Amino acid sequence: MSQPASLPLVESLLDAPLPPSGLAWLDVARQENLEAFATSGLPDTRVEAWKYTALRALGQRRFATRDMAAPAVAVDAASLVLPGVDGPRLVFVNGVFRADLSQLGNMPAGLSLQPLSQALAGDAEPLRFSLSRHYREPGDAFARINAARAQDGVVLRVADHAEIGEPVQLVFVAAAAGLDLAWHARNVIELGQGAGLNLVEHHLASGEPTQLATLVSDIELREGARLQYTVLQNASASTHLIRRTALRLQAQAQATLHVLELGGALVRHDLQAELVGDGAQLHTRGVFMPHGRQHIDTQLAIRHQALNTTSESTWRGVANDRARGVFRGAIVVAPGADGSDASLSNKNLLLSPGAEIDTKPELEIYADEVKAAHGATVGQLDERSLFYLRSRGIPLAEARALLTAAFCRAVLADLPNEALRDHLSTLLVNQLPDT
Amino acid sequence: MNSMIDESSSAATLRDNADVAEVLGRTYSAGFITQIEMTGLPPGLDEGTVRAISAIKHEPEWMTEWRLEAYRHWLTMPKPDWAKLKIDPIDYQAISYYAAPKVAPKSLAEVDPALLETYEKLGVPLHERAALAGVAVDAVFDSVSVGTTFRKQLADAGVLFCSMSEAIREYPEIVRKYLGSVVPTGDNFFAALNSAVFSDGSFVFIPKGVRCPMELSTYFRINAQNTGQFERTLIVAEEGAHVSYLEGCTAPKRDENQLHAAVVELVALEKAQIKYSTVQNWYPGDENGVGGIYNFVTKRGDCRGDDAKISWTQVETGSAITWKYPSVVLRGDRSVGEFYSVALTHHYQQADTGTKMIHLGKYTKSKIVSKGISAGRSSNSYRGLVKMEKGAEGARNYTQCDSLLIGKKCGAHTFPYMEVKNPTAIVEHEATTSKISDDQMFYCRARGISEEDAVSMIVDGFCKQVFRELPMEFAVEAKKLLEVSLEGAVG
Repeated sequence: MSQPASLPLVESLLDAPLPPSGLAWLDVARQENLEAFATSGLPDTRVEAWKYTALRALGQRRFATRDMAAPAVAVDAASLVLPGVDGPRLVFVNGVFRADLSQLGNMPAGLSLQPLSQALAGDAEPLRFSLSRHYREPGDAFARINAARAQDGVVLRVADHAEIGEPVQLVFVAAAAGLDLAWHARNVIELGQGAGLNLVEHHLASGEPTQLATLVSDIELREGARLQYTVLQNASASTHLIRRTALRLQAQAQATLHVLELGGALVRHDLQAELVGDGAQLHTRGVFMPHGRQHIDTQLAIRHQALNTTSESTWRGVANDRARGVFRGAIVVAPGADGSDASLSNKNLLLSPGAEIDTKPELEIYADEVKAAHGATVGQLDERSLFYLRSRGIPLAEARALLTAAFCRAVLADLPNEALRDHLSTLLVNQLPDT
Repeated sequence: MNSMIDESSSAATLRDNADVAEVLGRTYSAGFITQIEMTGLPPGLDEGTVRAISAIKHEPEWMTEWRLEAYRHWLTMPKPDWAKLKIDPIDYQAISYYAAPKVAPKSLAEVDPALLETYEKLGVPLHERAALAGVAVDAVFDSVSVGTTFRKQLADAGVLFCSMSEAIREYPEIVRKYLGSVVPTGDNFFAALNSAVFSDGSFVFIPKGVRCPMELSTYFRINAQNTGQFERTLIVAEEGAHVSYLEGCTAPKRDENQLHAAVVELVALEKAQIKYSTVQNWYPGDENGVGGIYNFVTKRGDCRGDDAKISWTQVETGSAITWKYPSVVLRGDRSVGEFYSVALTHHYQQADTGTKMIHLGKYTKSKIVSKGISAGRSSNSYRGLVKMEKGAEGARNYTQCDSLLIGKKCGAHTFPYMEVKNPTAIVEHEATTSKISDDQMFYCRARGISEEDAVSMIVDGFCKQVFRELPMEFAVEAKKLLEVSLEGAVG
């Protein structure tokens, strides 16, 4: 571990004092996490979880902790709209809640949705468990600073057996602020027994902001709850976005994730799922498509802890130019988790001589009544398929785009929201290289 | 006195050194399984120990310096902790770093009968059996080679096959050129330790264009209590040369953990082929996890020339702890690396094994087939790296890792790393983990095959792909080994 004090990034994040929250337990938890961050500093590449993502350059940067203009900065409201997504919307600009951009009228029955800052001002007790968490792994630096500094975020609850029809949209806008800014957001999401929710998380940029953003989401699915979760990450080319999503699935709960990683300079997503109840099911699909000098790192960790749990993961990576894609897909089947069925596939395309893909599928199996399999490949577009298309008069660039789009198709194929699916497919194709 | 000293010209100088003489004269008294008197160094490790080992072996000055450099580097290195292994702290000062049979024989006829008997029990085709089996054996009993057969036939073909200490004395130019060129002295903690204190091992040199007339074989054997074995093997195949090398290991029952840190270096020049096969069956500890060998091995091959090929095949059933990653550096264009492995763990055994394929040259190919079987309370991990560097134009890798679980308390893990920097390279990895299917068991049982036999059959089928790569006599031995190792795993 490097000397934390000597790193400008760490210094700048520790710079401002923590504003009091008015809740003694929260202030203590924040202070402890801040101290843990100060002590540990940033993980270097010798920490296994950060083996392929070096923070050396980021560590030399400085970011301001507060953006006084965030509550007022102008954001084009049209950019927030996603096709097929017209339910309640919560918008954060540079980590600050913006009521003027959000849609909170006509809340469906059974849905409670409010910004963390408001939830804390009301009955904060239900948040205590989630917000007093301590992060102990050597690679948890950003979760620590998030726990210490996040002032806002989403608190979402779905009542037992409530079925929320319209997709709920959570928007995180990074807006150019005239200074390099660090912001942190914290989401606490809970689906009651048998509840159903369709959730869309959307990251986008307004202008060309240079930022460091961290987002930590705790998502709990009670017995029989169903979550359809779509993430569109389209941050600005100079945003460093570090996210952690922790899912807990109780018995018979089902979660399906679709993740599109398109933007950002350095992007890291820790996606952790614990299947703690019998019969829980998790499906994750994702595409990461770094180009230019982007670095996109996805760390998927799935833990089967109960009987007859299922997880199925399909991830695709496409790296172009001098970009780097990193993927880790770890599946753990805990002792006694008999009847677990786990599978993971990660296929990657390298489109350019300067690009790099590092992938690491892992299996850790401690039970014997299991089926577990993973596969990973790295390669390029099939020459014969290209030849076939070209021989039918399709120009090379178009043929390549077609094949690459087809390669990524598996990820979005089972997204039920058709309008959203089409939109995401278009975004994917637009990101493809023209060569 | 130690006859190693008598046979050398510099014996007088050594004898004058009272300390060394005293050290060498020290005899182990307790707990031998083979009743041969031992001479060795007392437990402990410092520069003096390194110098003493070098002196005992009458090594030239450069060798002593090489060892010392490795030792000094070792002192600065942290113990590796990344493997999925639970290792009790090892007291490196409690280990004796040199042991040799007290009477060093001048020829096979002088070999101690008790020793030959042990080999007999292990089925080593030494002595007259060697001729029948057609295998040249450079048998290593603890640390000094005690007998070498078929020297003449090999010499006629131009093949050099002898112990490492002999090679250092007789072929210093070759040794100096290649030793440490594949696994540098500071490569890792255990390789550095080995470089400092290695006792002996095998040296093979196949000159240009020669196809080694027979399969070469060494049986390693850990015998003396508290003696770490630090084997050092170097195999060099010059342009167009071919060699197949067999390494087999057994160790008698012993209650204390014994440390084994070997280094094996393979160098294949243009169009050369080296096939290295291992059956490792050291004492795994008893059913309660007491005792057993700690096996920390660095094995690496370097395809230095174009069209070279290095193939590792291993069957790992022994040792309490196995830490071993036979690797290939594919430097030459169109060179080929292969790794075939069966690792079986039972009771409290732990294995963290796999391979590294580093593709540097154009159109290089590698293939990895790893089969892990875990039973009892054991832990069995595959850990592998496939790296395609920028220059690895059109390189290709295929990896298959399968794990079989027998019992509820064991663990089977897979940690493959894939790093690809060339867009024309193709890397494929597949892994599965499952238990022996009920359908298969039912089918066998319905046909009157006992449960134990059925498991053994299914496991044999599971490993077939790897056994096929083994030389014939090894394949038979490997199959038997699995059966024996799995005894009591079912039910």
